[in-house]
Amino acid sequence: MKLYIKYDGIVACRVILQEQLEKHNVKYQLLDLGEIEIDGDIAEDNFAELQESLNHYGISILNNQKSQLIQRIKDAIVEMVYERDKLPTTTISHYLSEKLNFSYGYIANIFSEYTFTSIENFIIIQKIERAKKLIVEEELTLTEISYKLNYSSVAHLSSQFKKVTGLTPSMFKRIVDKRRLLVNQVE
Amino acid sequence: MKSLRLYKHAQVFKIALGIAIIVIGYIASVFYSKMQKLDDSVELIATSNQTQLELEKLLSIISNYETSLRSYIITKDESYLKDRFLNRGEIELNIRKLKKLTSHSPEVTKDLDSLKVMFNRRFDLFRETLTIAKAKNIDKNELNTKLLESTAYTNRMREAVYRRINSEAKKLRDLNNTHQFELEDSIISAFLLVILSLLILLLSFNKVNVDIDELKKANDELQFLNLSFNNAEKIAGFGHWKVNLETNTYTFSDNYYRLLGVEPHAFEPNLENATKYIHPDDLEYVMQTHQDSLVNHESTSIVSRFLPENGETKYFRIVGSFTHNSKGQLVKVGVNYDITDLYKKTVELEENNKELQAINDELESFNNIVSHDLQEPLRKIQMFISRLEDDDGGGLSDQGKDYFTKIRTAANRMQTLMMDLVNYTRTIKGDKTFVKTNLNSLLDQILLDLALNIEEKNASVTIGNLPTIQTIPFQIEQLFINLITNSLKYSKEDVAPEISITAEKITEKETYQDIDLTDKKYHKIVVSDNGIGFRQEYAEKIFVLFQRLETDAKYSGTGLGLAICKKIVENHNGCIKVRSKPNVGTQFSIYFPKNA
Amino acid sequence: MISHKDPIHILLADDDEDDRNFFSEAIAELKMSNRVTLFKDGKELMEYLNQPEIKTPHILFLDLNMPGKTGFDCLKEIRTNSKFKELSIAIYSTSSSEKDIEETFVGGANIYIKKPNDFSKLKKVIKDVVNINWQFHSSGLNKETFFFSI
Repeated sequence: MKLYIKYDGIVACRVILQEQLEKHNVKYQLLDLGEIEIDGDIAEDNFAELQESLNHYGISILNNQKSQLIQRIKDAIVEMVYERDKLPTTTISHYLSEKLNFSYGYIANIFSEYTFTSIENFIIIQKIERAKKLIVEEELTLTEISYKLNYSSVAHLSSQFKKVTGLTPSMFKRIVDKRRLLVNQVE
Repeated sequence: MKSLRLYKHAQVFKIALGIAIIVIGYIASVFYSKMQKLDDSVELIATSNQTQLELEKLLSIISNYETSLRSYIITKDESYLKDRFLNRGEIELNIRKLKKLTSHSPEVTKDLDSLKVMFNRRFDLFRETLTIAKAKNIDKNELNTKLLESTAYTNRMREAVYRRINSEAKKLRDLNNTHQFELEDSIISAFLLVILSLLILLLSFNKVNVDIDELKKANDELQFLNLSFNNAEKIAGFGHWKVNLETNTYTFSDNYYRLLGVEPHAFEPNLENATKYIHPDDLEYVMQTHQDSLVNHESTSIVSRFLPENGETKYFRIVGSFTHNSKGQLVKVGVNYDITDLYKKTVELEENNKELQAINDELESFNNIVSHDLQEPLRKIQMFISRLEDDDGGGLSDQGKDYFTKIRTAANRMQTLMMDLVNYTRTIKGDKTFVKTNLNSLLDQILLDLALNIEEKNASVTIGNLPTIQTIPFQIEQLFINLITNSLKYSKEDVAPEISITAEKITEKETYQDIDLTDKKYHKIVVSDNGIGFRQEYAEKIFVLFQRLETDAKYSGTGLGLAICKKIVENHNGCIKVRSKPNVGTQFSIYFPKNA
Repeated sequence: MISHKDPIHILLADDDEDDRNFFSEAIAELKMSNRVTLFKDGKELMEYLNQPEIKTPHILFLDLNMPGKTGFDCLKEIRTNSKFKELSIAIYSTSSSEKDIEETFVGGANIYIKKPNDFSKLKKVIKDVVNINWQFHSSGLNKETFFFSI
């Protein structure tokens, strides 16, 4: 029997964080995704244990301040691409600098220094990633997807999709479908 | 004529015959009875006549007697009296005769009886008169009285007799009338009878004639059919046979024998002789099939080799089926026909097919060779050159570096050419499976795929309402990709390319190599651009393999693209034409057959 | 989690010596911190990978047209082994037919590279692949839809 699953990574992460923190008896307050306010201190070994359990889920506690910032930028972008039903109409730079309370120039610099890629590029990658997700979920047409992701037309989405992945959305879909079949056959 | 049809219907005819017989019989019996009646009436007439005569005789006898008596009375001559007993006797006889004659009529008999009484009385009177006359002393008064009485009585008698005679006469008259009437009647009946018989005779004769004519005609036709059938058999190369399962007799047609290389009826038709000509390897199979069919009465159709008298092995198809003949007996009828030519051709065809398949396979492997094995070394060459060039030309002179650039260009060109060749062979072989394709959807997809190129050139592509047609999808895709890519490639330098793909209705007369391109038979799709165009006189040349018009390196090309387009269109039983004007633009018209 | 500072372990399986040389030269010129292991056929590659104490490499560049065990065979084998779930496989081939490309993705490849005919292109390709791969891992993008064609 086949089950089709749609998942919201962000919600899942939050839940896991909460569960783990409670398991380790840590009093906390979830601020933004990526930010937790801890009441008091945590013992070193407890902290190590917590870190390990979270690593299991692919969640890691950042040490470096800079990398924290990078993560925040990424999170902000991901939130922007995924959380909203439609991408904001204000410019990205505006949005980010507002959200993170830094000038855009600084944000952009730090980002490219550490990730070796520009924010614009990262945004595009995220958008395409979400496009892939929506295509796989099969609930929206390409036109609807392009609208949702703030592309001026289907052609625009398709051409960016092809530019980034080297594949057309239709090819991509074909591959995903065939892979699904294959996986089912194995089972 | 409907009546004619009824006329010919045997059943109806039988009924008609029955009716005719009945009618004739009836008329004959009527006639017969009439004749009888006639006979009777003649007899009656004769009787009546006779009666009258006898009655007259009676009267004359009485008269005689009276006369004799009177003569005696006058002359007293006894000789007049000598016949009186004779006369009486005669009267008796007469009356008896009369009685006999009129025995059929009781009324007359009664009359006669009373007459007899009268006669007796009269004779009494005679006697009395005689007695008186014979006396010595004749009492004259008594005699007169007696004579008067006698005369009166005689008159009375006479009256009675005449009454009878009249009545007889009347009867006679009536009988005569009836007789006359009946005679006429009989004549009519006889006449009717004759006419009717004649009519029936004529009709029968006619019918028989007609039937004979028809039979003759049918016979002639049958003969003709037989002849043509025999001829047909000869021409078509088949012979037929028949085996009556109940009498176990075999019949072979003339051509059956000829097919086996012998003269018609060269051997006796039976199973043994027929099977002599079957190829020994196939004999068992043929016999088995035949025997099986005799049991299950199912139709058979097999192919077998035969060895006719004049040498070369022939292939026959033997077809047989079961039916009943006019006697209700089960027969198996069948046909042998010579399929040697067909068989040989089929074998040839299969061999050709195998060859073609082999060629196809070779082409396939050629494709693979080109795809991989040829490209590999080429790629290496390009790689090494690029390494050298990167390495600051490997310490080469400017001339050397220039040479390398030229080598690289040539290698690149070779690679492009190979790719195009691979594409071309794909259109030649490839799947020829036709699928109903919505051209609009197809072109939307193509535009997406070419979106980058289109954006690069800042081109605008408009697509009109296109039909849905039967196509080999990947080939049609290639076709339009090539045409659009061409339009993009051969665009004017500072002018944004405008490309349009529309469907047009064929209104004017258009032909291609003697084929009329009518709206009824073809879709017309036009791909037009505003590019650099070319001279119309090259309209045919550009579709030729490897032919290129622009030698300007700015416009890179291998000369295969349009040849591929032409091949694709031909694969779809269509055609492609082009119209162009230098510096204005180009228009490709593609014609696809409707109802491919 | 992979950080860009960590040395990336790259594998290449290609039966052609010249191609192997080009590859290692290109990587050397890219000056990325990395570790490159070269294999000359599928058998060698699989033997190496099937060693029990092997740590999962980051990227495998896999030539399709190899004698004996083809690239496709290796692809299938690796993808049925859950140990190498994290391994990004980049198919490295001369063919550019859509059908072939699709087949490799369906077979479990993540990246399809048409072998470039220019050294600088080769360098760019490798750099892009490493980059993309790192992006994917660092941003937790979906492995199931990690398909790139270059």
